Amino acid sequence: MIARSLSGLLKKGDRVAVSNITGREASKVSTISQQYCGNIVAGWALGKAGSRIEVAGGKSIPVYGQFDEMITQLPEKRRPTKVIVYSPPDAVYGDVKEALENHRGSVRTVFVITENVSIEVTSKLRRLADTEGVDILGCNTLGVINVHDKVRVGAVGGDSPSETFRKGSACVISNSGNMVNTIASYLQSAGLGVSYGISTGKDVNILTPLKDLLPLAMRDKRTSMVVLYVEPGGVYEAEAIEAIQKARTTKPILVYVAGEFAESMNISLGHAGAVVDGVGSSASAKKALFDEYFEVPVFDADDRRKYSKRMSSHPRGLRVNALHDLVPAATALMAAAKIKRDFAPLRPLALRPWFVELGALAEVLPRDLVPYVADIPKPYGKLVKHYVTSSIGRVTSRQPMRDASHASSNDGATPRVYGRSLTGLMKTSSFVETVLLYWLGQPVKHAFEARLFDMSLMAALTNGPGTISAQGAKLSASAGNAPNTAMMATLGSIGTVHGGNGAKAARMLIKVFRDTDLVDPYDSSAAPDLDALVSEFVKQFKERKKIAKEAGVAYEKVPCLGHPVFNTEAVNYDPRERVIDEVMREEKLYNVFLDFYHRLARGMMEQHATSKVHAVNVDAALTCVLMGIAWPLLVDKKITVERAIDLPFLAFALGRVAGGAGEYLDHRDSGTAMDMRVPVNECRFLGRDQD
Amino acid sequence: MSAQIGELIFLEVLAARFKIPTPDFVVEPVRQSDVKQKLAAWGSGIVKPDVLAGKRGKAGVVREVSDCHKAMTLLKKVAAKVVSGQQPRTAYMVQTVPADVEVFSAITYNSRYLAPSLTVSTKGGVDIESVSEADKVTVPLNVFRGLNAYQASQALVKAGLPEGKLNSKLALCLVKQWDMFSATGMQSCEINPWRVTRAGSVCACDFKGTFDQNNIKFKDLGFELPEYPTSVDAFEEEMNAWAAASHQGQAHVADLGGNTILPMLFGGGASTIAIETLAQAGGDPMFLSDFGGNPPYERMKKTAEICLRHKFADASLLLILGGKANNTQIDITFAAIADALQEWVDEHGPHPIPVVIGRGGPGLVQGFAVMKKTLENLGMPYVFFGPDTPITLVAAYAARLAKQCAKANGGAK
Repeated sequence: MIARSLSGLLKKGDRVAVSNITGREASKVSTISQQYCGNIVAGWALGKAGSRIEVAGGKSIPVYGQFDEMITQLPEKRRPTKVIVYSPPDAVYGDVKEALENHRGSVRTVFVITENVSIEVTSKLRRLADTEGVDILGCNTLGVINVHDKVRVGAVGGDSPSETFRKGSACVISNSGNMVNTIASYLQSAGLGVSYGISTGKDVNILTPLKDLLPLAMRDKRTSMVVLYVEPGGVYEAEAIEAIQKARTTKPILVYVAGEFAESMNISLGHAGAVVDGVGSSASAKKALFDEYFEVPVFDADDRRKYSKRMSSHPRGLRVNALHDLVPAATALMAAAKIKRDFAPLRPLALRPWFVELGALAEVLPRDLVPYVADIPKPYGKLVKHYVTSSIGRVTSRQPMRDASHASSNDGATPRVYGRSLTGLMKTSSFVETVLLYWLGQPVKHAFEARLFDMSLMAALTNGPGTISAQGAKLSASAGNAPNTAMMATLGSIGTVHGGNGAKAARMLIKVFRDTDLVDPYDSSAAPDLDALVSEFVKQFKERKKIAKEAGVAYEKVPCLGHPVFNTEAVNYDPRERVIDEVMREEKLYNVFLDFYHRLARGMMEQHATSKVHAVNVDAALTCVLMGIAWPLLVDKKITVERAIDLPFLAFALGRVAGGAGEYLDHRDSGTAMDMRVPVNECRFLGRDQD
Repeated sequence: MSAQIGELIFLEVLAARFKIPTPDFVVEPVRQSDVKQKLAAWGSGIVKPDVLAGKRGKAGVVREVSDCHKAMTLLKKVAAKVVSGQQPRTAYMVQTVPADVEVFSAITYNSRYLAPSLTVSTKGGVDIESVSEADKVTVPLNVFRGLNAYQASQALVKAGLPEGKLNSKLALCLVKQWDMFSATGMQSCEINPWRVTRAGSVCACDFKGTFDQNNIKFKDLGFELPEYPTSVDAFEEEMNAWAAASHQGQAHVADLGGNTILPMLFGGGASTIAIETLAQAGGDPMFLSDFGGNPPYERMKKTAEICLRHKFADASLLLILGGKANNTQIDITFAAIADALQEWVDEHGPHPIPVVIGRGGPGLVQGFAVMKKTLENLGMPYVFFGPDTPITLVAAYAARLAKQCAKANGGAK
């Protein structure tokens, strides 16, 4: 082993390069690592030279085509000291060889994350490592975390390393990557944090075995206890104990050996190397080895006192038979060895269900099998409230969608929208009905919904040539652009201020109605107490306005109330909204959201939040129409809240882009070249000439 | 992952390819006249089953014969006799070879050296595990250079076969054994014994070996591995094929013969611990599984579909358990399992057994939300645990709950 200390494996200041960095797992893990500690200087992937891995809130990672190219182009001070290998199994040998032959003396450690690497390649890697003077961890390691330096390589700690790994004095060395994380989180209940978390991997050959790591942990100043997770296969533990017996420094070891149950069965466990392959390699042999070395029988949680009596002031360690016994056993070891806690222990490990619904089964079960729901710890409690207990909206799972879609398909003969053939829809459905199918994933329930949506699109077509979006189309025509560019110019001229208010209105309506029992927005008899909702809303609005004014900051207006054109009367109306409202009245249709908006406009004036009744503008009408369609789907959790919020803006954009096309056609036919240009002498300079 | 091979494929294909001397042999079905002719030439033969029995499993079935009729009867009997739970593919008879010395040799990857190694012993011909370590000689090999005749010869000298004609001849055979090991991507190969006479004849008289299925050479052996009758059930067979279909995410299962708990487990370590705890607590799990390694949605969905198709109807409890994942997206894996559950119920009707879940990791709460909604839709009772409950406690709870449910259903199915 080349590293002389655990920090030699990974410390602050180490620079990391990642192979195959654009792969699914490598790019995701690298992004999180970069946000956590920012130690990745570059990556390489064949055919991806010149691209970058963007990191939200962190430094983006440049991607090179080959390792050699990366080393050549990086300045000497930026060259990697560590390499993580995410290459496919058959490429691992070539990639490591390339790195080790071209690293120009910079790389000290290679971490091979890849699974299913052949044993022959693993043996060759070992020879390469010895020849080149580097350490190789793996294959199939998950990586290493140095908690005190707040740096990691690989995926140790998952997407939130800080949540599991608190600074402390336990060095966790595990055959299972998952167990590094799991054990670290359990140790918090003993008041123990982690110095280093090391995943050795558990292939048949472990390239940096325990006999190399354990002596380093024994010498590490930040480490006062070593916690091991061990599986059958190999004689690594026997060699490690031999190694530390030769050394003079010892620190207590806490160990869990898994897999004894499989000895009587001819089965293979999860890890490739977890197979009994000779004398001393079985789980039972490893248990006996540790028990003999510790000179203390396996930990018995029911008889803890005997261990404090039997253990000397320099205990060699303890073995546990159940993973959850790690906590009491660690506590006993700490007491015997006078190791101080790293922090106040978190609550003890226990059965703590987050969700329990046993229904009728609960009535026939013994009481201890019907557990009470426990408090959900931070940071999950907030997330549970958001995703699980919120009353409306679907929670979706995420997956790579490059070549996948729920919305459309084509089997080579028939294009489909949410499983319905487009040709069939062309015969039986209208354009607006099909658009709503495409946007919502199911056909509209009522025919009038398509009619109202149609009206909303028409209302969105135009508000005259002076609107920003129409001006966008005209500018584009004036410049001689093609029709698609003009349509893009129209779309490019709408935004959160012009057209985007519908999204704000949708968000507001969801906030107001999500805690009511509203199910059918078209049933006036089942509507919640709208006056009460308005009154509460206006009260809160006035409070926010007052606080904002006192702070001298702008307050957030009520979305879609008022219009720059229709605002001259004591009571104002937007004529386009009026038409939608009147058609609904004529057809005896009710929409609870539009009703709320009308009451809100009046309530704002009556409760002295405004001086006149503002117009409920067309964006509000459009939003109310779409929210009427979307609300039952939200209640049934068939669409997400985010989708419902996007709908009004999408509808406005769809209507307005058609209007923009009209402006373009007119302007292209009748306008003069560059007629949208403002003459120089009409432009004002607001600064001062500097020369 | 490794693929075991028996002696017959060694005799039929590998020995000839690598010029390793072996005894003559015939394979059942064989004509009586051929057997008669062979026995006349050999003097006697040894009838063996072609079976992948571990260790010395087939030792009790092997018989020496010199009579043609006896040989024909034995070949039929041995071909049909189950050995250590395994059904033979066929039986074969090899020539009896005289020996003055029996030598054991094994080439394998050695976790002590992290390299291949050669082990030899002149106490061959018996169960090698019964031979004391002092009577075995193990030498590490350079994986790039392999084994040369000098190294092999020196190992044999240390094992008690002095330098000379016999030593040289056997050393050359050991080099051929290395060539076979290396060229075909083997993980281990053992010849026990080499039967050696003072007159200088050397013969490889029994063989067992495993290929490393991850080795690229294994994928291009140039011959088809024979199909052995398998004791693996349809579920394990389908899962094994599915596991081999992709390296994206694990799909490993091993049948445990239980009847009560259908365990979908995540992580090599967590799955081992969970099954160990279930077994200790009398949980009667149907199989061991590891579905970790961040499987994409499609991979996980089909994995869950296979599990449910084969095992769900007979299960009294569904256990979904893993530690605090580093990399596996819980929302994706849970959405896939939830969708597979929904489809199973759509096709087969309700099966409202309790579902116990214990998990942590990225997208956990979103995953819980999806799973909770699906289970509520399907009317399935559930208990969910987060990463603040140790997996061993969850497994023990699931074992107790499953026992109660099986009892309530009129005893374990």
